[in-house]
Amino acid sequence: MNALVQKSTASLDALKRIHPLMPWFASFVLLLPLPLLALNDYQIYLLNVICIMIILATGLNIVKGFCGQVTVGHVALYAIGAYTSGVLSVKFGVPFWFCLPAAIAVTMLAGALVGIPSFRLEGAYLALATLGFAQSVEIYIRVTNYLGSASGLGGIAPPSIGNFVFYDYFRYYYLVMPFMLIAVYASFAILRSATGRAFMAVREDALSAAATGVNVRRYKLIAFMLSAVYAGLAGSLFAHMVPGYVHPNNFTVIEMVTLLLMVVLGGIGNIWGGIIGAILVTIIADLTRDFYFYQLLMFGLVIVGTVLFMPKGIGGIIDRYFVSKRFVAAREKTAEQKRAEAAAAKSGES
Amino acid sequence: MKRHILGLTAAALASSVALNSLSAAEIRVGATMRMISENGQKYGEMVQDEFDAINAAGGINGHTIKLSLLNDECKSDKGVANANKFIHQEKVHLLIGSTCSSVSLPIVDVTAQAEVPQIIPHSTNHQITQKGSAWVFRVPISARYYKGVVAKYVGDKVGKKIAYLYASDAAAVSDAEGLQSQMKELYGVDPVYSAQVQEKEIDFRSHLLKIKALSPDAIFIAALQEPMARALVQSYEVGLPASVKRLANSVASNAPVPAMAGDAIKGVFYTAAYSDSDDRPIAKLFNSMVKQRYGISKVDHDFSQAYDLVRIVEIALRNADLKLDDDNLKADRTAIRDAIAGVKDYQGLASGPISFCADPTPECRDGNRTVVLIGYKKGGEDFELGILDRVTMPVEFGLEK
Amino acid sequence: MTTLLQVDSLCKSFGGLQAIKNVSLEVEDGEIRGLIGPNGSGKSTLFNLISGVYKCDSGSVRFDGADVTNWEPHDIAAKGVARTFQLLRMFTEMTVLENLMIGQHCHVQYGPFAAVFGIGRVAAEEKRLRDEMMELLSFIGLADFAEVPASEMSIGQRRLLALGRGIAMKPKLLMLDEPAAGLSPVNVDNLMSIMVQLKKRYGLTVIVVEHILKVVMDTCERVTVLDHGEKIAEGSPAHVRDDHAVIEAYLGREMDDEEVRAAMAG
Repeated sequence: MNALVQKSTASLDALKRIHPLMPWFASFVLLLPLPLLALNDYQIYLLNVICIMIILATGLNIVKGFCGQVTVGHVALYAIGAYTSGVLSVKFGVPFWFCLPAAIAVTMLAGALVGIPSFRLEGAYLALATLGFAQSVEIYIRVTNYLGSASGLGGIAPPSIGNFVFYDYFRYYYLVMPFMLIAVYASFAILRSATGRAFMAVREDALSAAATGVNVRRYKLIAFMLSAVYAGLAGSLFAHMVPGYVHPNNFTVIEMVTLLLMVVLGGIGNIWGGIIGAILVTIIADLTRDFYFYQLLMFGLVIVGTVLFMPKGIGGIIDRYFVSKRFVAAREKTAEQKRAEAAAAKSGES
Repeated sequence: MKRHILGLTAAALASSVALNSLSAAEIRVGATMRMISENGQKYGEMVQDEFDAINAAGGINGHTIKLSLLNDECKSDKGVANANKFIHQEKVHLLIGSTCSSVSLPIVDVTAQAEVPQIIPHSTNHQITQKGSAWVFRVPISARYYKGVVAKYVGDKVGKKIAYLYASDAAAVSDAEGLQSQMKELYGVDPVYSAQVQEKEIDFRSHLLKIKALSPDAIFIAALQEPMARALVQSYEVGLPASVKRLANSVASNAPVPAMAGDAIKGVFYTAAYSDSDDRPIAKLFNSMVKQRYGISKVDHDFSQAYDLVRIVEIALRNADLKLDDDNLKADRTAIRDAIAGVKDYQGLASGPISFCADPTPECRDGNRTVVLIGYKKGGEDFELGILDRVTMPVEFGLEK
Repeated sequence: MTTLLQVDSLCKSFGGLQAIKNVSLEVEDGEIRGLIGPNGSGKSTLFNLISGVYKCDSGSVRFDGADVTNWEPHDIAAKGVARTFQLLRMFTEMTVLENLMIGQHCHVQYGPFAAVFGIGRVAAEEKRLRDEMMELLSFIGLADFAEVPASEMSIGQRRLLALGRGIAMKPKLLMLDEPAAGLSPVNVDNLMSIMVQLKKRYGLTVIVVEHILKVVMDTCERVTVLDHGEKIAEGSPAHVRDDHAVIEAYLGREMDDEEVRAAMAG
């Protein structure tokens, strides 16, 4: 295990030395043949769903995990992204490549709207406010005929480049996978820069963050809008995937719980964790399709169990493994220095 | 921990592989339905039990049917996932689904693309069969028939002088205005009286007195449960004679309405594909079977439709020439599609015959077009219902020309 | 010497309690100022008013030539005022190094999203920040723990880290709220030597609130004394030590002056 970790860390460093983006390019190349390994179209379909869920979970992780804002409105932003893209495609015949940025822009503005209550509200109160927003969006869609109301909005055209149409799951993978990689790369880049540190500082202690020069409101807003960009991207990709159909039932509290499960199980405030969570939960949800009666109960129990027994999720455990190694190393180094000093002092005395 | 994750992934892959080892001699059928409510669960059980019974009786031409049943919770994304799993992973020959129109609608596109026959147990949305898919069949009655049946019945059997009294809730407005426009379209008549009142209005007497003076053939009341009950009672209080037919929108089918309205509900009817007060021997037998098997005393049309669906599938499968090996999956799917299209004049629990045909049009694929009108014979807590009439709609009814 | 901080007739009350009454204060550039007073005398409140955590009822705060009265805390921080908290308020889930790097937030030379596009530039800037902070970590003696979460640190180490975060902000004025609380005597000496070096090494002006009077008396050039929200004395440590009002306020009348002097001498 140790050797494996060392080996992979070393090869990662080697790639980074060539170019900082090299690991990402390598991941892209590694992910390219994945659908060819799939046993059937259903598994390719699942790959697409996993990619979309990774984007969605990464977005939620930014606002909830990194900036510490307890939001349950993320699924509503996902809905706004999906419906913006869908309406533009169905009602105005706008091609995907314009629907996508429009969906992202609209969702980003909606994200700012969800973020504003966070200036004054915290914790459970913020959760309630964002829940109210999520419910309002769902109900609004349900009663608005223009959006297809309870019949849903269908006939959303698949994306195309020239004559090449992404109409099946195999082709769609080559659209959704690069978007997923770019989204994950962007989150890594941003969260490992000063912006990510500011998010974490706001999460850890808003007052202290402000005293350190972080404009708390500004960064809360940035976190909400950034997470909304992810939700908008995921929503648009979901809407245009075969069969190009969106319905308010896809964006309820149950979807929000599943999304929370991904982030909580994977690891709050840990991008890798969120990604692992999205993959695991999608696969587990698929394997337990037959036990639909107990699925939600199970999901709920896993959330409670994770929060109680491993609050930092799977990602946290992996992190912990490296942290404890570093800590032990640091302590040993200091102790050794002290011993050396003591020895030097002794020899000086004698 | 990492090792655990690897283990889990391996398990996931292994089980996918396991599902892929298919038994050749089986007819594989996948069903995705909404099985979250108590009744929803029972519809699924009925489909399963009926297929089990076919297998127990020797199967289809010596082959057994392997049914896989999944819940879609009335969510289109789950329904699409289920359909994809059935089609691409379990390689089903036939897909049954779904309960909700919002799930059936997107699945129609999935089955059309994958070329797998899909037969629909419960969804009524008219668009389902209007997408031009050659692979979809519908057992229940399309919404386009339901929409016009009241107008047709009223115009043909009751009269053309109709007064309308309706509340401002969305359903009432759309039902009342819909009926008005259909009366205009079918018979060229305008309402003799039309009044919209507040959603929570409870005193309708001034309107009812004016209506009485006009002596119409019928009065149509569309409102929420309590206002509807009050309007019905008040219509007798103001002396509107019993000869004026009382009509109401589908809210009347809710049990509190006859309880509140008492005998003022008499004659009011609503529409469905099946009534448990049907006195045909097959219906009586079916009602007692459902009660015995599933403990349900009020058998609604979703039970009868699930049952009819299995019978139609059985007929089609018996008529299809199936190879049931891996090389002929595509051919078998096509054969089953054509066999379902070949079902004509199936007589089952549905109130009229069900027929399909080959064209990918709503005329061919909305097989059931006989609506049953269920009328109240007695009001109160222990209300009684009876079949008022059966109306078979013209094939092309409700289609845009 | 120019005046860096000028507090003029500041007032603040919470409900019926007047926490700060008409306090005026001037701190020269480069000075190390002590702020003492009994518990509840308003020292922390004064810090919170200067750093913008509380809004004052009346009066004004001028800092480095600008009127910063009732500015937002992050704007005051950006202007060059750093502070530590009595209860530390470290970012415990972040690493020691990150805790320092967040101190440099106002000095980062790239925008919030630059990291996505300006890969080389951001990486170079991050490396510069990191190197600078590693140097600072060596100065406060925590270099070995750079990659360890702050939550793993002892109280003493966290006090040093808090001080480090203040320095990392490259402020003109550093306000330390009880930097020696909970430290062992050895660490108190260590802290004092760091404080004295701050001025030389970083050219900082410092205001320090401290209960361990030895720290104040030995490091500060001037001392301001608060009692019940009012300034009761100001001057050199020796002057304040002998001030009768201070002795009275600080220790009541139970001890005689000799005893008080002994206590203050640490």
